[in-house]
Amino acid sequence: MFQLKAAAGRTLQLGLVLWAVVTILFLMFRLMPGNPMAAYIDPTFTEEQQQALMAQFGLDRPLWEQYLIYLGNLLQGELGQSFRYREPVAERILTLLPNTLILTFTSLIIAYVFGILAGAYLAWRRGSAVEQAAIPVVLTTRAMPEFWLGMVLLAIFSFWLGWFPAGGTRSAGMDHGSLLGLYTSADFLAHLALPALTLAIYSQGLPLLLMRSNMLDVMKEDFVTMARIKGLSNWTVVVKHAARNALLPVMTSFAIAVGYQLQGNVVVESVFSWPGLGRELVNAVAASDYPLAQGAFLMIAIVVILMNLIADLLYALLDPRVTHV
Amino acid sequence: MRLTRKTALATALATLFVSAPAFAGDPIRTIDLFTRPQAAQPQEFQSVQLIAQEWRKLGLDVNVRVMPWEQMADVVWYQRDKWDTTAWQMVGRPERSDPDEIVYNLFHSSTAEKGYNFIGYNNPDYDKVVEAQRVEIDEAKRKELVYQAQEILAADQPNMMLVHPKSTFAYDKTVWNPDSVVNQSGIGIRNTWTFMSLEPLGDKRDIILNSGDNIQGINPLWISGGVDSWITELVWDRLARVGPDGLPQPWAAESYEWKDDKTLEVKLRSGMQWHDGKPVTVEDVKFSFDAVVSGEAPMYRPFATNVASIDIVDDSTMVFHLNQPAASFVTSSLAKINLIPKHVWEPIIEDLKTKEDNAESHQEATPIGSGPFKFERWLTNEEVVLAANKDHFNAPKADRWILRIVPNVEAALGMLRSGEINFVGEFSGDPQVLIDAAEADGDLNVVSTVDIGFRYVAFNARRAPFDDPAFRRALSAAVDRRLIVKAAFKGFAEASNSVVSPALEFWHDASVVENFEAGHEVAKTILEEAGYTLEGDRLHYPGDKKEELAQ
Repeated sequence: MFQLKAAAGRTLQLGLVLWAVVTILFLMFRLMPGNPMAAYIDPTFTEEQQQALMAQFGLDRPLWEQYLIYLGNLLQGELGQSFRYREPVAERILTLLPNTLILTFTSLIIAYVFGILAGAYLAWRRGSAVEQAAIPVVLTTRAMPEFWLGMVLLAIFSFWLGWFPAGGTRSAGMDHGSLLGLYTSADFLAHLALPALTLAIYSQGLPLLLMRSNMLDVMKEDFVTMARIKGLSNWTVVVKHAARNALLPVMTSFAIAVGYQLQGNVVVESVFSWPGLGRELVNAVAASDYPLAQGAFLMIAIVVILMNLIADLLYALLDPRVTHV
Repeated sequence: MRLTRKTALATALATLFVSAPAFAGDPIRTIDLFTRPQAAQPQEFQSVQLIAQEWRKLGLDVNVRVMPWEQMADVVWYQRDKWDTTAWQMVGRPERSDPDEIVYNLFHSSTAEKGYNFIGYNNPDYDKVVEAQRVEIDEAKRKELVYQAQEILAADQPNMMLVHPKSTFAYDKTVWNPDSVVNQSGIGIRNTWTFMSLEPLGDKRDIILNSGDNIQGINPLWISGGVDSWITELVWDRLARVGPDGLPQPWAAESYEWKDDKTLEVKLRSGMQWHDGKPVTVEDVKFSFDAVVSGEAPMYRPFATNVASIDIVDDSTMVFHLNQPAASFVTSSLAKINLIPKHVWEPIIEDLKTKEDNAESHQEATPIGSGPFKFERWLTNEEVVLAANKDHFNAPKADRWILRIVPNVEAALGMLRSGEINFVGEFSGDPQVLIDAAEADGDLNVVSTVDIGFRYVAFNARRAPFDDPAFRRALSAAVDRRLIVKAAFKGFAEASNSVVSPALEFWHDASVVENFEAGHEVAKTILEEAGYTLEGDRLHYPGDKKEELAQ
């Protein structure tokens, strides 16, 4: 019973959050200085054309009417038509989203696998010279701006050593047939390497430091002492007992990191000419392309909200002590 | 007695006038000067800093306001009485090789309210001259009128012309034969002629070039940005094309001939084919012009509204009847309207007539033209692939034309050196960096060309003191353009005083640039002669003029 009530409450909460996001998005872009018509200014831009465009974009209607139309369309799953590209926003977002997701998940998985292993190792070697050298390095990578890191990797591995291509998802004019054909090709992996590495280096700090401090906490707990008293090997104690328990908050932080990572993609996608949602978002905001900017932000907001929900549920699943009462 | 009194009064009055301080109006308010941010437009930003500095020396209080393009355009275009001065730019396009678009649309009083004359310039004499050049078919006479227009602008200084920038491009000379690169006057080497004639030296046969901007549409009835037009020019033919010399020449038309000043006979080239294999007919040509004015293609509409009717005489001959004589018709209409296949577009246009959308939002899955390149593939925000149309009457020598979208300009440079691209379609960075890279690399050729486009500072003639030509002249004269060329453009520009670029040799009136005197002293003298006074270090209006816009 409790469970059911909790689920209903959460759903209602989700709906409210989404409505708030949608409303803020609507107002934010319209209150920003700028005008979507600016892109069309040209010596041959006639008055007739200006009025036709305003009507086509629905900008000739009062703001409240635009808002109601927008909400109505959203309820029908309709995101509108991009001002700039004259094509449905949903179509455009769905074309670009896979590129962004694959970059995000590849880099986060690398970052978390590395972070968890390195974090556990550093906790184990607490106080050693290795740990003392590693922590400042990790903190430095956390502080490096992504675009700078991206440019450095580009300069070294692409322009200097020539190991990796400098941008895009494939070589010029290369046809891989389907999306699956593309994502499984060596050509794609070579193009993915540098942007994924940039994001991975940038994101590994969080899981690493989280894992390390969790481990240090867990190692002090009674059950670990108990395990040691039982005479288990150091390896068994660290990996099978301590690490498993320390892993819990790190796993949930992964879900939340996906949301944050989508923001980080904006920069990296521009540096590596990656045709993803982040780059499109920046363009849409700059060009006052309201429908596209709203749609892209909404998509990101939905991913963040979903990931938060997953994080919550994961907690309850992995640690029965956590309930949603 | 009476007489003396009168004399006394007169004397008293005279004394009063003589001894009264010289008339001075109110101090001039703080003047706003708009520019885009340094990160986006370093040259514009730098120019504006130099200009503001010189204006301050004249006793003006100048407030430089930095804002992104969308915001600046919103104020300048849609709130026409809310700004003083702004930096602005006009980009070069092949169809601007005819001066009409610039001299008419930027300054004719009819476009002041809603069109491109956002500065509110209004000079009836000028209106007459540009109206006359529009309908003058005799080239020599028209040239005289265009010269006259440039001279009026030089005297009135509605804008402060700064420079014609140089467009700088580069290519890999180990891939492409340098002799096959065409430098189009006022446009540079990145042009349709180059793409058709580029000759591969080895087994790399694909032209791979970069653009920083995304493609917005591949549509013969709508282009939204410069980059879109690179593609439409290759996929679709037009009756005429602007040639490497800046003058129009027959293209899909074998020839055209004026019968009188409103009648043009056009002969279609024989043997042309659409990319789907069907022949190009005079019916298609007529349809192309009809489609543009159908109401479904608002952007191209202004370029065909002057066509009253098109008569089909036989399989290859058409006669265009115009409403008004139009000197620029061949450049601005024949060389602009894309020829589209009737069998593809007629059903689409008919269907669109029943809908709210128009042809501008219709994206063909496989665009069909008759041009030198065929559409092959378009990957959103990543690349566009065109294949050479080997059946074309001017078939390209390269195999494919591949446009890569590279928003990161440093990466584009690196790609050029690593061979990921072999032609620079766009370089928004410092041209010197490109030249240095070419020197370090050894495989690259860099070519700079003076552009048709220009940079300027617009004065809002709706607001005093910018309604006074003398004041505008003084502000314009205050800055030596050589300083702008050197300091802001690092030499990659040519000083300007005319909206008609020196790249358009036939139309450019060199005397208005040569006779333009600039410098602080020149500006000061103009202001003094016009009655402006300096009180303390603040410039005041002449006479008893009040400041009506003070905050």
